[in-house]
Amino acid sequence: MNATAAYNEAVRRHFADPQHAGDLQKDHDLTLVADVSESAEGAHIVMSAGIRGDTIAAMAFRVRGCPHLIAALELACRILTGQPVASLENFDSANITQELSVPVEKAGRILLLEDALAALWAQYVSIED
Amino acid sequence: MSGAAVYLDFAATTPIDSRVADAMHSCLSPGGAFANPASIHIAGRVSAALVEQARQRLADLLGAAPHCLIWTSGATESDNLAIAGAAGLRAHRGKHLITMPTEHKAVTETFRHLEKSGYDVTWLKPDAEGLLAIDELEAQLREDTQLVSVMHVNNETGVIQDVRRIGEICRARDILFHTDAAQSVGKLPLDLSEMPIDLLSLTAHKFHGPQGIGALYIADRPGCKVLPIMHGGGQERRMRPGSLPVHQIVGAGTAAGIARDQMAADLLHVTTLRDRLWQGIQDVSGILCNGSFDHAYPGILNLSVPGVEGESLMLGLEPVCAASGSACNSTSGESSYVLRALGRNDALAQSAIRFSFGRTTTNDDIDVAIERYRWAVDHLRSIAPLHSPGC
Repeated sequence: MNATAAYNEAVRRHFADPQHAGDLQKDHDLTLVADVSESAEGAHIVMSAGIRGDTIAAMAFRVRGCPHLIAALELACRILTGQPVASLENFDSANITQELSVPVEKAGRILLLEDALAALWAQYVSIED
Repeated sequence: MSGAAVYLDFAATTPIDSRVADAMHSCLSPGGAFANPASIHIAGRVSAALVEQARQRLADLLGAAPHCLIWTSGATESDNLAIAGAAGLRAHRGKHLITMPTEHKAVTETFRHLEKSGYDVTWLKPDAEGLLAIDELEAQLREDTQLVSVMHVNNETGVIQDVRRIGEICRARDILFHTDAAQSVGKLPLDLSEMPIDLLSLTAHKFHGPQGIGALYIADRPGCKVLPIMHGGGQERRMRPGSLPVHQIVGAGTAAGIARDQMAADLLHVTTLRDRLWQGIQDVSGILCNGSFDHAYPGILNLSVPGVEGESLMLGLEPVCAASGSACNSTSGESSYVLRALGRNDALAQSAIRFSFGRTTTNDDIDVAIERYRWAVDHLRSIAPLHSPGC
């Protein structure tokens, strides 16, 4: 029996030591903040992106959620940091879902990550306009 | 136990006592008591004698007459047989039944099935501590009430209901009283010779016996009977057909004997462990004990903390094996219906952890649980949104 099958090694590592958990320093050209919830008492994400020029200079998150969601947020922050701001638009979490071996019944939880990133992009667009 | 797991989930199941395993092994070994106890030949009679010896041991634990005990596959089957069997037998007298929403699903789902079949079920809500208000029960009794089912010790919170008083009220009105005692048999003193309980469900794996074997106690008094819910041979006074599993019954009987001998020491032990755990974490900010602390079996401690999610708390607790108040893999993240019935909101119910301990738990186990719980709560709060709804 594999006693650790519920969570793969990547989930365990990012759960125990999420490097991007916390808040951003306010030393960027622009700081975007998205606050999304699954429901009134379900998972809750506050995600921040620090923008310099048209690049995501830094990312951070706060979360109340399951281990897969914590790990997914950490991975998303790692992937997006240093990327063009436009990467926030239509971010596809499929690779993250695969890397973390997210069970199918939790797909909805991971969509919350996409919702947070979409909210950051929408905020950026509205400010730039 | 594999690895360095710290097992604190005794309310789910208990490790088999080595003496129980030895007794079972002697049945399963070459030359052991493998024969069908319903057979009348010599080998069958050897098995039958072992079955009756085990029944006597279980009866001694309960203060019951041996013939009042029916072997079943466990408490779920016993609950089904007691509730559906009693309701069916008395349907011509009336179809009103009473229970609580905090019962085990083996009880609640049986009552829901009966509701769909035309029975009228009253669901008595507990107070915030999980206790049944006796005057509320009395107020809901009717001329056509035939059965009341209230569990002895709640499997999630450990809260103890006053089954003696409930039984007295029912007996005075010729209403059958059933209690699911899966969490109390072998752990708390029960003397059915002087308690007004008509039907009692139990299972051996909650008191260091094997899984897959339980019993239903049916009081020997007029009107106290159940209709069988399975059909087949005439075993177990024609109330529960099927070949009896001799090795499991021998294991259950051995476990019952050990529980009877060690109950006082076990109870003192788990009380000490519960108090040690509570002392170690009671200063965690916002921590709540779910259910009454004082009117509870001390082998169970159910705790919630605001601001953390239950599944993450469970992972943070590793290597401690405890039970979560949430259905972790559910897309809805459905939280414990028992805790919600006590008035906990979804967020608090989802953060609930049930620690349960027993005979083999050590102080070191508790100290690991204290250290891991404190770390997990601190860690999850440190990464949580500063203001979350529902917390």
